[in-house]
Amino acid sequence: MANVYFELTREFNRDEPVAVLASGQAVVFYRIAIMSKDGDWVIRESPEACDRVRAVLAARGARHRPSPPLDVRWLAGGWSSHFEFTDERARRIRCDFFSRPPRVALARVEEMFGVSAPWDRLLVVDPETLARMKQTQRAKDYPAIGEIARLLPDGRELIYTTDPDRILALAFSVTAAVDRPSVRAAREAAGRARVVVELAREIDQMQRRDHVRVERYLAASASYLDEFRRARIDQMALSDAHQMACALAEQWLPAVPAGLEHDDADAQ
Amino acid sequence: MQMLSDDDLNIRSMSDEELDAAWDLWFDLAQETNAFDPAYSHGVLVGWTPPARDANHDDRGEAARTPDRRA
Repeated sequence: MANVYFELTREFNRDEPVAVLASGQAVVFYRIAIMSKDGDWVIRESPEACDRVRAVLAARGARHRPSPPLDVRWLAGGWSSHFEFTDERARRIRCDFFSRPPRVALARVEEMFGVSAPWDRLLVVDPETLARMKQTQRAKDYPAIGEIARLLPDGRELIYTTDPDRILALAFSVTAAVDRPSVRAAREAAGRARVVVELAREIDQMQRRDHVRVERYLAASASYLDEFRRARIDQMALSDAHQMACALAEQWLPAVPAGLEHDDADAQ
Repeated sequence: MQMLSDDDLNIRSMSDEELDAAWDLWFDLAQETNAFDPAYSHGVLVGWTPPARDANHDDRGEAARTPDRRA
């Protein structure tokens, strides 16, 4: 039996590339760890891509979980859209979509969909993009980043690795400038303990930055989510749910949360 | 420093079919913990937990009927 999230990816992309597998299932694809029960995709920011994905999900009996609509008006503001269905073996399948992965430059996102046919091969985010996306507030993502970074050339690995031993090993063999306190500590021969401490601070800073970003989305979505639940959209057929969610979002959900109007992934 | 377990790292030596089978078995077993999973693991709703919707509460999380106090 194939991984249902791999199957869904191929189905989404049957006619053209519209969804690239990301996060936990990408970690499975790269054979780093089996660590996620959900599927996450970077969706192409077009009405046609949204239509295609919703059609595939509707055919599987999916329901719209409380979340913004799968619609470019909100996807472009960084919102994520969430769905769920039960498969033929009574297993819970959760599907999450976003078109603006955090910390990833828009140009890189656009490149993801510039692949040549056939599109039914598995489209998965590249390891460097995956490492950036994994820089979340969740502690469990950082060991995975260390392993994802091992898939990169040495110079790129040193930018992302969360393994102090790899920082110590690469700090001198890689001559390019790397703007990380942990790498500077290693290059100054400050000792392993200093490298470990600087690395912990870097990770804490990344977690806090992501937490602040997510908190802004949560604050901006509170009223919309209340209305969504009150309208029981999560119990509707998907086509009806989408129309209703769009109507509510037009009234209650800002396209971009306050404070994130100039969130620039290219600059991060 | 090895950051993941041997079991995690062993998946690198698997064929595609073996990886699918291993994931499928893991996913079957992981269904047992669905009720304990966070509502949202990814995206911008991480950390948000929808209010309980049960026999005693309406969609707003407010009491819909008098809770049964006999138990």
